Amino acid sequence: KRQQQRRELQLLGAKAERGQLYPRPRAEPGKMSCPSSQSGEQIEPLRYLSRVEAEAIEKELLEDYRFGRQQLIEIWGHASAMAVSKVFPLPSLPRKQPTVLVVCGPDQNGAIGLVCARHLRVFEYEPTIFYPKRSLNSLYRDFTTQCEKMDIPFLSYLPTEVQLINDAYNLVIDAILGADAEPGEVKEPYASILATLKQIRIPIISLDVPSGWDVETGNSEGISPDVLVSLAAPKQCATRFLGRHHLLAGRFLPYDVQKKYELNLPEYPGTDCVVSL
Amino acid sequence: RLLGARRGGAERGWMSGLRALLGLGLLVSSGSRLVAAAGGGRCPARRGPPAAAAWGRSASAMQSPGRSGVKFLSQEEAQAIDQELFTEYKFSVDQLMELAGLSCATAIAKAYPPSSFPNSPPTVLIVCGPGNNGGDGLVCARHLKMFGYEPTVHYPKRPGKALFEGLTTQCQKMDIPFLSEFPSEATLIDELYGLVVDAIFGFSFKGAVREPFGSILRTLEQVTVPIASIDIPSGWDVEKGNPDSIQPDMLISLTAPKKAAQHFAGRYHFLGGRFVPMALQQKYSLHLPPYPKTDCVLQLP
Repeated sequence: KRQQQRRELQLLGAKAERGQLYPRPRAEPGKMSCPSSQSGEQIEPLRYLSRVEAEAIEKELLEDYRFGRQQLIEIWGHASAMAVSKVFPLPSLPRKQPTVLVVCGPDQNGAIGLVCARHLRVFEYEPTIFYPKRSLNSLYRDFTTQCEKMDIPFLSYLPTEVQLINDAYNLVIDAILGADAEPGEVKEPYASILATLKQIRIPIISLDVPSGWDVETGNSEGISPDVLVSLAAPKQCATRFLGRHHLLAGRFLPYDVQKKYELNLPEYPGTDCVVSL
Repeated sequence: RLLGARRGGAERGWMSGLRALLGLGLLVSSGSRLVAAAGGGRCPARRGPPAAAAWGRSASAMQSPGRSGVKFLSQEEAQAIDQELFTEYKFSVDQLMELAGLSCATAIAKAYPPSSFPNSPPTVLIVCGPGNNGGDGLVCARHLKMFGYEPTVHYPKRPGKALFEGLTTQCQKMDIPFLSEFPSEATLIDELYGLVVDAIFGFSFKGAVREPFGSILRTLEQVTVPIASIDIPSGWDVEKGNPDSIQPDMLISLTAPKKAAQHFAGRYHFLGGRFVPMALQQKYSLHLPPYPKTDCVLQLP
């Protein structure tokens, strides 16, 4: 029985390594997603997703892999906070108080912003949230409560005087619209908010997609963030990003998903969930 | 300090007053709103030296990460804190389990990096119990896979809840094998795996150990490869420990260590689950040492 068990366990382990437990078309069985592996294979370029692909991946994660939406938002929000602190570590902030303004939209991107704000608070930043249109989605309501109970202030309005924002905060996190945003004109109040953000001098960090940009073609008239944090994989509009730092955040995409969409993601260092692109 | 919505001629004075209150941001709201935001009448505390220390400005804080004043929780306190996180703070189990599992995987990667394993890729056996501790183990398994380990899970008793079914599917779809039978002999485990993760019982454990976990723990008592226990070494009384049960090499205490941790004699004691709001820490006088920078784990002395 012992010999039999040993053989079975070894076989099981070997199958897992070769990715044969759940038969699916695989380009390279058992290989990790690292394009710069020592096997000397050609380094494939990083893939930038179309709107359709981004939606398909999220659908697959939720329906096939049975990730929960709250779980994904928590993963992305935490990774976003890690990305923010990588580019702007606490000691590097110019102001005496490590204040950060987080502007949250009504949908998933906004919820990610809320989670990001919460983790920044844990990391001892001082986030303030502007969340003009709170989601009625009960799933997202709890994220709001968590922030409130952690003493994160919520602004009741965003001043249009840009100097006030420049003076009060070190950074602005743009968590208004994501890859799921409706194409076309940005609705109020976000159009006005974005018009204000276009004028500020302090760095803007956009989560996943600069708000107001088309997820594929960008927007030459829109905001120009300093930092872009692509979640899981970059979207096509990221090719038009002209800011200083582009990071990838959210280290959880199953290898099979990476292979299927030929993402060619770079290797994350150590146990980090953020990598500079 | 409470700002009313003042406009017009008073704006200049208001703005300079505002600039002096940088720590509060632009709070153009009613006083009661500010009080609510501050959590029941308490003004948001300024954060000075502690932040600097955690970010490495104070070398001594970095060299001795654990303060001897950290509180060891009773079972009742652990349960009360858990309850408060869910009912008062409205955290969901999904969220906290994800953060807890990530902490476990990160701590394991720190203590047992892939290079320290005899086999390549580094194989890890994760034994998941019937409750939340088992869920933590599933999340841990998934993150270990992302970190380059080869985890295998044994999950004999699965609760019929969507959360656990989801976590199981996530693992299975990532080609993490699930053993249908627990290896009958400790030597087999020693041969095939470089590490065992004990995610069987957590801080809610009381009373007798039910099968199949009794047999599993008896086998684990015989393994020579290191065991890393999540939150509480399984089979231990949550407060008093148990000299006759497994003696793990590593313990990852989640949120705060429990009294049982005082009986832990292994090499690595880590703290994980970096999500306890400061107000809650203060309420229960946890005296948690500061986590380094943005790390989700902290090694305790």
